Amino acid sequence: MDEQLLEPVRENIYQLNLGPQHPSTHGVLRVLLKLDGEYIVEAEPVIGYGHRGHEKMGENHTYLQFMPNTSRMDYLSGLIYNHGYCLAVEKMCGIEVPERARYIRVICAELNRISSHLLWFGTYVMDLGGFTPFLYCFDDREQILDLLDGVSGSRLTYSYCRFGGVNRDVDDAFVAGARRFIARLRSRWVDYHNLVTKNVIFIHRVRDVGIIDRDLALRFGVTGPNLRAAGVAYDLRKIEPYEVYDRFDFEVPIGGKGDAQDRYHVRLAEMEQSCRIIEQAIEALPAGRFRNEYRYQHVTPPKGDYYLGFESARGATGYYLVSDGSRYPYRCHIRVPSFGNLQVLTEVLKGTMVADAISILGSVDLVIPEIDR
Amino acid sequence: MGYWKEIVEGGWSLVEGMRVTAKRLVRPVVTVQYPRQTIDMTLAYRGHIELKKFAESGSHRCVACGTCERTCPSHVIKVQGVKAHARSDKVATHYWIDFTRCSLCGLCVEACPTETLKFSREYQLDGETRWDGVIDLIQRLEENRS
Repeated sequence: MDEQLLEPVRENIYQLNLGPQHPSTHGVLRVLLKLDGEYIVEAEPVIGYGHRGHEKMGENHTYLQFMPNTSRMDYLSGLIYNHGYCLAVEKMCGIEVPERARYIRVICAELNRISSHLLWFGTYVMDLGGFTPFLYCFDDREQILDLLDGVSGSRLTYSYCRFGGVNRDVDDAFVAGARRFIARLRSRWVDYHNLVTKNVIFIHRVRDVGIIDRDLALRFGVTGPNLRAAGVAYDLRKIEPYEVYDRFDFEVPIGGKGDAQDRYHVRLAEMEQSCRIIEQAIEALPAGRFRNEYRYQHVTPPKGDYYLGFESARGATGYYLVSDGSRYPYRCHIRVPSFGNLQVLTEVLKGTMVADAISILGSVDLVIPEIDR
Repeated sequence: MGYWKEIVEGGWSLVEGMRVTAKRLVRPVVTVQYPRQTIDMTLAYRGHIELKKFAESGSHRCVACGTCERTCPSHVIKVQGVKAHARSDKVATHYWIDFTRCSLCGLCVEACPTETLKFSREYQLDGETRWDGVIDLIQRLEENRS
């Protein structure tokens, strides 16, 4: 006998569309909620509104021509995506990168990670109803954007890394600016903690809300701060150090039970760790070339398939590139962390209230164009 | 945590939060009033591309080789050139860009063999039709010269 038939028919269940225009579904996420009163019975994320066909574009562009696309998938940590793509192609072709360029890339990628987390911090607190921290975060983030603008010439879609180096060299003003920024950010922690972390309203909105425990996270392929908040110290910068991350002394902050509060604390701690990496990289920044003398315009990697994983601001990301020996990749697939982080919501949102759903959606830090790409 | 203790601690956290905002109230303003005040742009700023003017010739050095055209991921560039006579070098006569499709990646600037391309400082661009985004850089260079 089918057990579903025996269940009583629940007539008071109705459907509600959360998004795609809802202000807390940043980007264009639509979550189809089945509600019983204010409780969620079933949640089904609907994706595809921001689909631009980046993977297909990758097959129709040369390796270099696809590079500007990479920063447009996850627009909040575009430089990290640029960086990963260049690493992937360099691995395919065996291109040597000058030491200075490697350090510059790490500094800029970590600055980008901080800016991404700061934006998350601001918007998350704004989703929960606090508008003021949002403005403070944007003030801080603006300093990073100015720094990155000074070296790359762009504020969001950087296209900064090139095969075998970076586009422009950094100067003393950048180094001094980065030092100044770190000192400034550290002085702001006190204010942030007083304003948000200790705030009673905030604590009540995040504590024990949206628990993604270890098993659930691993089952759904959740990565990044969401996984680390569940107590798994999985960070590709530590586990498979890619670039020069193995030379720096930093910790992987982890949480305990994996609720929204843990995710919040992990991200805040990660910003501090990024500051540490930047400081060490600035200290050790070697002199020399910032780019290879030979400018790789049309690379033709040998036949085969290649994967390179790296840690973006949202988790484990990777480029899977298949080369048929021509100037164009045969297949270009991108593993994005937000997809796994979104899938888990179908489980997590069950049984919670709509107000908590907003808090959970914000706390997993989704970037929808990255999922749709 | 006891009921009353939570109320007291919660209330105190709100007071602390208000203290942070009050402190900010007397700090200098960080934004600028945009149309009346502007911020200096960085040297690295990437506007749409334009042709460099070289002192020795008083003009650009574009030979209409089409490297930029082929490098561009979005097919933004269209360049035409002529040879004055059979033995002379080719010189560009038209250099159109469709800025509406440009993603400012700078691959053309790097690819240019004569290094005649650079980023402009243009950031206030608007138009009524999409054809307003189509710019002839050679015409633009000549207009700037006169």
